[in-house]
Amino acid sequence: MTQEILLKNCTVYDPMNRIEGEVTDICVRDGKIVESVSTDAQVIDVRRRAVLPGGVDIHSHIIGSKINSARSMCPEDHRRAVVPKTPTTRSGVGEAVPSSFVIGQLYTAMGYTTVVDPAVPPMKALACWEEIPDVPVIDILMLPLFSNNMITYHYIEGQDMEGLRGYIDWLLRATGGFGVKVVNPGGTYAWAHNLNAEHLDQTIPEWDLTPNQILTSLVRAVEELRLPHPVHLHPNNLGRVGNIETTIAQLEAVRRARRTSKRKHILHLTHISFDSIASVDEGSTRWEDVASGGLELAEYTNQHDHFTVDLGQITFGPAMTMTADGPFQYLLHRVSHTKWMNITVDVELPGGAGVVPYSYSPKSLANSVQWMIALEYALNIDDPWRCVITTDSPNAGPFVRYPLVISWLMSRRERETWLETLNSRSLSRSTLSGAEREWSLYEIAIATRAAPARILGIDERKGHLGAGADADIAVLDHMPSDSSLSDHPEEIVRVFHSTYLTMKAGTVVHRNDVVNPSGVRRRVFSVQPTLPEATRKRIHNEVGQLIDRWYVHSHTNYPVPRRYRQALESPIPLRPAT
Amino acid sequence: MRVADDVVCPFCGCLCDDLRVTIDDNDVITRVDNACALGKTKMLHRMDDRLLVPEVRRDGKLERTTLEEAIDTAAQLLAESRRPLIYGLSSTENDAHRAVYRLAEMIGAVVDNTSSVCHGPSILGRQESGEPLASLGEVRNRAQLVIYWGANPLQAHPRHVRRFVRIPGEYIRDPRTERRMWVVDVRRSATARIADRFIKVEPGSDLEVIEALRALIKGRTLDVSEVGGVPIDELAEAAEELRSVEYGVLFYGLGLTQSRGRYRNIDAAIRLVRDLNRFGKWGMMPMRGHYNVTGANETSTWTTGFPFAVDYSRGYPRYQPGEYTAVDMLRHGEADLLLNIAADPAAHFPRDTVRRMRDIPIINIDPKRNLTSLMATVNIPAAMAGVECDGAASRMDELPLYLRKLVDPPEGVLPDRDIVRLIIERIEGAVDER
Repeated sequence: MTQEILLKNCTVYDPMNRIEGEVTDICVRDGKIVESVSTDAQVIDVRRRAVLPGGVDIHSHIIGSKINSARSMCPEDHRRAVVPKTPTTRSGVGEAVPSSFVIGQLYTAMGYTTVVDPAVPPMKALACWEEIPDVPVIDILMLPLFSNNMITYHYIEGQDMEGLRGYIDWLLRATGGFGVKVVNPGGTYAWAHNLNAEHLDQTIPEWDLTPNQILTSLVRAVEELRLPHPVHLHPNNLGRVGNIETTIAQLEAVRRARRTSKRKHILHLTHISFDSIASVDEGSTRWEDVASGGLELAEYTNQHDHFTVDLGQITFGPAMTMTADGPFQYLLHRVSHTKWMNITVDVELPGGAGVVPYSYSPKSLANSVQWMIALEYALNIDDPWRCVITTDSPNAGPFVRYPLVISWLMSRRERETWLETLNSRSLSRSTLSGAEREWSLYEIAIATRAAPARILGIDERKGHLGAGADADIAVLDHMPSDSSLSDHPEEIVRVFHSTYLTMKAGTVVHRNDVVNPSGVRRRVFSVQPTLPEATRKRIHNEVGQLIDRWYVHSHTNYPVPRRYRQALESPIPLRPAT
Repeated sequence: MRVADDVVCPFCGCLCDDLRVTIDDNDVITRVDNACALGKTKMLHRMDDRLLVPEVRRDGKLERTTLEEAIDTAAQLLAESRRPLIYGLSSTENDAHRAVYRLAEMIGAVVDNTSSVCHGPSILGRQESGEPLASLGEVRNRAQLVIYWGANPLQAHPRHVRRFVRIPGEYIRDPRTERRMWVVDVRRSATARIADRFIKVEPGSDLEVIEALRALIKGRTLDVSEVGGVPIDELAEAAEELRSVEYGVLFYGLGLTQSRGRYRNIDAAIRLVRDLNRFGKWGMMPMRGHYNVTGANETSTWTTGFPFAVDYSRGYPRYQPGEYTAVDMLRHGEADLLLNIAADPAAHFPRDTVRRMRDIPIINIDPKRNLTSLMATVNIPAAMAGVECDGAASRMDELPLYLRKLVDPPEGVLPDRDIVRLIIERIEGAVDER
C-alpha cells in the first residue's frame, strides 16, 4: 500500500541542493522524497519550522566489543542516567555508554538517522550484527579495522597490491563492512611487544614495514577499489603533545600518493581534537607545554584539499575513551590512574584495543586546551564541506552533547561564557578567544548532514531533501524568521537536543517528545567491490589458508551468516570509474 | 548419510569449531570426530534423559500435557507473580537471551545468569580495575608463559591445553622449549602434573600469594619465610621469571573466583597482570565454563547495561550483585517464582537455597530431564542449541561464533527463543483481553 505524506510549510536547509531557508513543502512516498504526492497524502503542517535532512554521524562508537566492554566495566556510569520503558520504547541506562536501545532512541530524538560505527574488529562482526536489531531506528554503517592485521601486512610486505585489494574485498563481504579503518598503523601491532610506532618510517616488529607504507598502501587499494568512503584515519601518536607534526606528516605522505587517484578527497582524518596537539616549546612532549594545533591544521587544510576531517570535539564531563590504539589507552591509564581494559583480538589486533573511563574538566590545562583545538580549527577553515561535527562519541563525550558543540560553533557569546570557565593558563595557548566567526544554520546543516553523507559516498540517498533521497527528515522546533539562534544559545541546545519531529524512511519516529520505532524501515549499508573472478578465487583460497594458520577458529566460521544480514543489508554502489 | 565439518561444539567456553559430525539417514548423529569426551557425549547422547513432552504439576504430580497448556500455565504463573526471578541462559544461544530480556522487562522480573555462581567475581574485579584481556589465537601465536591459576583444564576444558598451549604458533615454533606452562592450585591436579612449574598454595590464601608476587615483582623484599604455604625463595624465583617474560597469559578458574577473597582475588590478579605490563606484554582470561555464559554477559550488557543480576521491577534495569543474584533472591525468600532456562539450579545451588525453591512455583525450560525438572511446576522441553537449532554464542575470549542446526529437534520441541516468545505473546494477549 502506498503511503504518502505532505510536510507543509517547511523552512528548508538543504545544502546539497543549495536551499537556504526557503519556505516550501516536502513530499514523501513509500519512504522516499518525491516531487509531488496525491491529494490522499497525510498532511503535516510544520508552520515554517526549520527542516533539515536527517543527521548523519560519521564517527560514533555504538556497537560491538569495545562499547560493550566499557558498559560492563562501568556500572557507575549507568546509575546516573536511567531510561524507563514506555508504551513505544524499551528501557535502558547509561550516560557515557548507553545501552543499545537507548542509543537508537537518543539519536532519533536528536534528528539523527544514519550513524557510522568506525571501529569494528572484523572477526567479531557477528556480535555487531546481533546487536544492531536492538539499536532502533537508525541506519548503520561499519568500518572494519585493517591496519594492524597480519593478513594486511602479508600482502603489503609482499608488494601484492592485487592481493591487498582482494583481501579488502573478502573482508568487507565477510563482515558486511562499508570501508577501511586505519588506526595507529603499525603501532597497535607493535603493542604486542609492549612497543608503539612513534616514527612514521620506523620498521615494526616481525615485518619489514613502516606506518607510512601501511597507510599509503591501504589508501591506494581503497582508491583502486573505488570504495564510496576513503580510508578513515586515526593517526599515529594520538593524544600526545606535539602530535600535530605526525598528523601533518601523515597527511603529506598520503598527498604524495594522491596521483594514483582521480578522486579529490582520498583520506578522512578523524577526531582532530586528539590529533592536533601542538606545544609552546617546539619539540616538547610535556603536557605543561600543551598548545592548540587547531589553527595550524586549519591553515594546512586551506592549502591542501586531499582530505576531510571530523572534529571529535572535547566536551566537559564524563566520557569513555575506547580505541583500537592499545598503547595510547595504556598511556592514558598510566596518567589518569583509572581502570584499564585491553582487548586483544587475535591476529587482527595482536596488541589490542583499549578502554579507559575519563572525565574532562575545564580546570585542567590539558583538557582546556584540547577543548579549544577543534573549535579553533572549525572557525578558521574555508570549506565546511570538508568538516563534520562529532565528539568521537563517547571518547570526547557522548553524542548527546552535539547540541552544545553546535552552540559553541554558532554563538560567539556562548563560547565566551565557556571560555571564562577554562583553566586561565590555557587561554594563551590558542587563538580561540579572538575568533569572531559564527557558523550559520546552513553551515551546521552542511557539517551534520550534507558533508558527512558526501564524504561517506552515500549522498544519493542521504544528507539531502531532493527527490530520490530517503525520507529521513529532522524538523527543528525553531522558526528561523522569528529569531536568530546565535543570540540565543540556550535555544540552540534545546532545538538540537530534541526535534519537533523526526521522520525516518517516511515514518514519523519522534514527535511530541515520544520516540516510536515501530514499523520503521532500516538498513545496514555495505559495499561489494568488483574484482576479476580469478583474483577473487585466489584470495579466497589464500585468506582461508592464512586464517587456518594464524587463527584458532576455522575460516569457514569467519563470515557473518546471511541469517543475520538478509533483512538489513543494502549495498551502496561504488564510485564511478572516471 | 551426511558429514558436517567445522562444527562448533556447544559444550564449554572453548567453543572448539573443528568438529566433524556424521549423521545417518534417520537424523541420528552416529559419529563425532575431533571433540573431547564431553562434547562427544553431548552430541552422541543427545536423546538420553530428554524432556520430550511438556508437563504440568497437578496435585503434587507431574502430568504430561500439551505445549499450549504448558505455555498457558507458565504465562498465568508469571502474570500472577509479584517478584519473578528468571535464571540460567548460559547454555543457550543469544537470541533466546534477547527474548528473555523482553519478557523480563515486560513483567518487571529479575533476570540473572549462571555467572553469578561462577565468574561473577571476575566481573566485579573487572568493574574495580578493568582487565587486560588476552585472545586465544594470540596465546597460541605468541605466549611464552601460560599460567593456569585455580583451573584444571585437563578435566574441565579438555582440549584447552592441546589447542592453545602445547601446540606450535606463528612465533612459537617449538612449544616444548619456547613456551612454559605453570599451574597454581591447592592440589596437584591433572593439569599440574603436566606443567613445567607447579606452585601449591594453601586453600584460601591466593590473595596473599598474588599480593606477595606483586611486591616481589616491584623489587621489594618480604621479611617472611613463606606466603600461603609457598616458600619465599620459590616465590622470588617465580617473580623473577615473570619479569623476564616478553608475552605472558594468565588463565584463571573457579579456584580463584569462588575461594576465600572472591572478587578481591580477581582484582588482585588483574593488578598483578597490569603491573607485569611494565615489563612485558601480559593478558588474562577467565576459563568460562558453560559454552555461552560469555554470551549471556554480553547480551545482558548491551540490553540492560549490566552483565548479570538485573532487576526490571521499576521499569528500567538496576544492578546489584548480592541482592538481584539468583541465590540471594531465593535465599532471602524474595523471589515468588523461578523461571529457569538452560541451567540446572537445583543441582548447583547451595542446599538451603534449593530448599527455598520448593516453596515457589518453578517454570523449567530445558532439553534434558535434570534435578530442577523434578521440582518444577511446569516443564517445557527445548531444542538443543547448536545441535537442533541455530544461534550465536561467545567463546571465552569473547569471539562470537555461529552455531549450526545439525538435526531436527524431537517432534513438537521448539528452540528456547520460540518458547519464550510464545509466553510473551500469551501474556500480551491476556493483557489485551482485559
